[in-house]
Amino acid sequence: MDELLTQFLIESRELVDKAGEDLLALEKAHDAKRFEDAFRAFHTLKGGAGIVEFGAMQEALHCAEDALAAARAESRPVSALEIGNCLACLDQVAEWLATIEQSGAIPQNADAGDIVALFARGAATPSTAGAAPSAAADAWVDTLLGAHSDTASEAQTAVRYTPAADCFFRHEDPLALIAGLPGLLAVDVEPRSPWPTLADLDPFSCNLTITALLATSSVEVAAALGGESGRAEIEAVAGRALPLDAESLASAAAEILEAQLRLLDSADTAFQQGRVASVGLVAANVLRYVGRSLESDNVATAAAMAIAEGRVAPLVQAIAAALNAAPPEGVAETGRRKEAAQTIRVAAERIDALVRLTGELIVAKNSLGHSVKLAEAEDSDLAVALKNQHAALERLVTELQRAVVGMRVLPLRVAFRRFPRLIRELSAELDKSATLAISGEDTEADKTIVEAIVEPLVHLLRNALDHGVEDGATRAAAGKPAMATIRLRAAREGEHVVIEVADDGAGIDVAAVRRAASERSLKPREAIAAMSDEEALDLIFMPGFSTAKTVTHLSGRGVGMDAVRTAVARLGGAVAIRTTVGQGTAVRVTLPFSVLVTQVMTVEAGGQLFGIPLDAVVETLRVEKERIFPVGAAHAIVLRDRTIPLVRLADVLGNRAKDRADDSGPIVIAQLDGQLGAVQVESIGERMEIILKPLDGLLSGMPGLAGSALLGDGGVLLVLDLAEVVQ
Amino acid sequence: MSVRVSEAGLIELYGRCGVEDAEALQRHLLAAPGATVEWSGCERLHASVLQVLLVGEPRVQGQPTAEFLRKHVAPIIGRSTKQPGQHATDARDHRYAPRTNR
Repeated sequence: MDELLTQFLIESRELVDKAGEDLLALEKAHDAKRFEDAFRAFHTLKGGAGIVEFGAMQEALHCAEDALAAARAESRPVSALEIGNCLACLDQVAEWLATIEQSGAIPQNADAGDIVALFARGAATPSTAGAAPSAAADAWVDTLLGAHSDTASEAQTAVRYTPAADCFFRHEDPLALIAGLPGLLAVDVEPRSPWPTLADLDPFSCNLTITALLATSSVEVAAALGGESGRAEIEAVAGRALPLDAESLASAAAEILEAQLRLLDSADTAFQQGRVASVGLVAANVLRYVGRSLESDNVATAAAMAIAEGRVAPLVQAIAAALNAAPPEGVAETGRRKEAAQTIRVAAERIDALVRLTGELIVAKNSLGHSVKLAEAEDSDLAVALKNQHAALERLVTELQRAVVGMRVLPLRVAFRRFPRLIRELSAELDKSATLAISGEDTEADKTIVEAIVEPLVHLLRNALDHGVEDGATRAAAGKPAMATIRLRAAREGEHVVIEVADDGAGIDVAAVRRAASERSLKPREAIAAMSDEEALDLIFMPGFSTAKTVTHLSGRGVGMDAVRTAVARLGGAVAIRTTVGQGTAVRVTLPFSVLVTQVMTVEAGGQLFGIPLDAVVETLRVEKERIFPVGAAHAIVLRDRTIPLVRLADVLGNRAKDRADDSGPIVIAQLDGQLGAVQVESIGERMEIILKPLDGLLSGMPGLAGSALLGDGGVLLVLDLAEVVQ
Repeated sequence: MSVRVSEAGLIELYGRCGVEDAEALQRHLLAAPGATVEWSGCERLHASVLQVLLVGEPRVQGQPTAEFLRKHVAPIIGRSTKQPGQHATDARDHRYAPRTNR
């Protein structure tokens, strides 16, 4: 199934459950917080339905939301009838969700008419909310299911209908009403108040409470009850398994398992791989179905072993073990367990804790590496053993790291899914027709990145449509198709994820950028004039830059490209832009794949070790002293006909060791926000993977530092923020 | 009116028993405690009539052809008339062993 739908299903199910819980709690006693929670759940559900473009669900939820909003506006508790209607709405939603799960698509014939009608009736008749039902309000459902266990498995809905006492006078026949319900399975009748004697019975007064089990959804039942639905309690019973049900399920499972054993028995003479495989599959599925996933896995493993070894014994043992084991408690919850076996949702902070622990483990492993080196100096057998074990540990830790990173990985589709809508809405607002072409949405990235990249991308898409794409007349004059195309591309490049937003608009007028930057005094006029086009273009990333002539509600409010660059930089990424006048603009966002480990290169300056993030480093080189020339108070080098500003790291950090103050140290060329910068250091060390920790405490105010990391020998490595260093 | 008393003293419900039959049935049952109600010919049973049957607890015999009555109402009547010492001895035997008495 489509990733978006899968996500939608998971989220919607949770919300349906949550809203249901809140509504049921509200039914017992009004609680402002519960009410707001329920309201929010309905609202979010509706929003989700909008994202996947499920109109009927949106419509149904809209009614429920309206009903709740009305109660809020009148600052009164929600009536029992409203709660019932909202629950019916949730039931319908749950049913749709189940359909989506089965078919993998949004049901085309879904119709919210019944729900809409339900709420319409609720709104027309004044609420007849009686006393809040007792805690065991739906005990009657269990009684009913118990009394009709033969049909209980088919039942989806239970109804308890208490007709008005005077209904006979109004020529109503409650029994006929029940008889007319669709999918009727069973009916029961009980007196509302104890029966009088026959002589005292008023035959024109209705003293009946009718309960019924139905094989149809609560929504259909409510619709069939029509105006009387207000006098009926309607409960969804699908999935409400009876103890009896569970028992029979377990015994049915046992029978199937025994049958599989017999099959294997007869296969013993000549080993038949196909039969063993199918028996294994059946047994595993049966166990999974009854919620014994652990045993199910055991059987599956045993089947694989049996096939590998060419004998049935392992599978026979595994099935027999499952048969002999007592079924776990609470088998009644099989349905829920079945789902749980497929995916488990884990709170993000637990995963984060795992990530943190893995980080610590990597550091510990690195420090063990350090010890191994020390031991090697001793040249002992111990050193060899240590080295081997360190290698094994390294392999395991690397695997663990990959697994942990994998847990946090999401496809970018999750971030991209809301953009087609965004473009559609924006193009309507700006009166520009545009389509969004998305590619590479399967590209995966760390959850943090996927979540945090949405906002910068929204900025970029808005910019593309607002500033990039010309209006219809201009496009026509330029001979371009009226429909503009905005391309959103994602790709994995090594340890990076690259996302590009490209439009086929007018491109950026670099001269205009220079003018705007001068007017706003973003940089000295001469400096701007001396910039290459590429560098000048990069000015649009500066805070306070905006060339938009009109401030629309979309962009041009001063939060522009600088916000994008800041947000991306926070994720350890970089933004670059290229443009061709008349043909369009492309903004390229480069992000790390994982935020768990950072690759750094160690350098020495002023006698101290520093780390430089490797993704910024373009190359390292040595140049003769003569090729470093002064530019004003600063220095620069010329590399391949380009002038690159140069700083000496030790100078910048203010701890230049006098005795090593030569100018012949290696130079690191780094890509910094679209420009090259050169940093001269005293020596270049090794590359390493580190867990970058943000600075805190005394160091937090230090400029030029990105963070710190623990070294294998227990020392601390300060990691530089080269962009700040070069400035 | 869809309730009548046969020559044999059997109270018969037939056709569509409406709300107006409830009072008549009640009268008949009060007049002849212990009478048996025969409802094979009943096509529809109004809730008010069911109410009288549930309170009067007569012995009920026959099996209507209407599915709703046979499948859903008969068991209710059967259960409620299963009172000890009353006219109905075992609800099941009259439900599943219809007699022909006309």
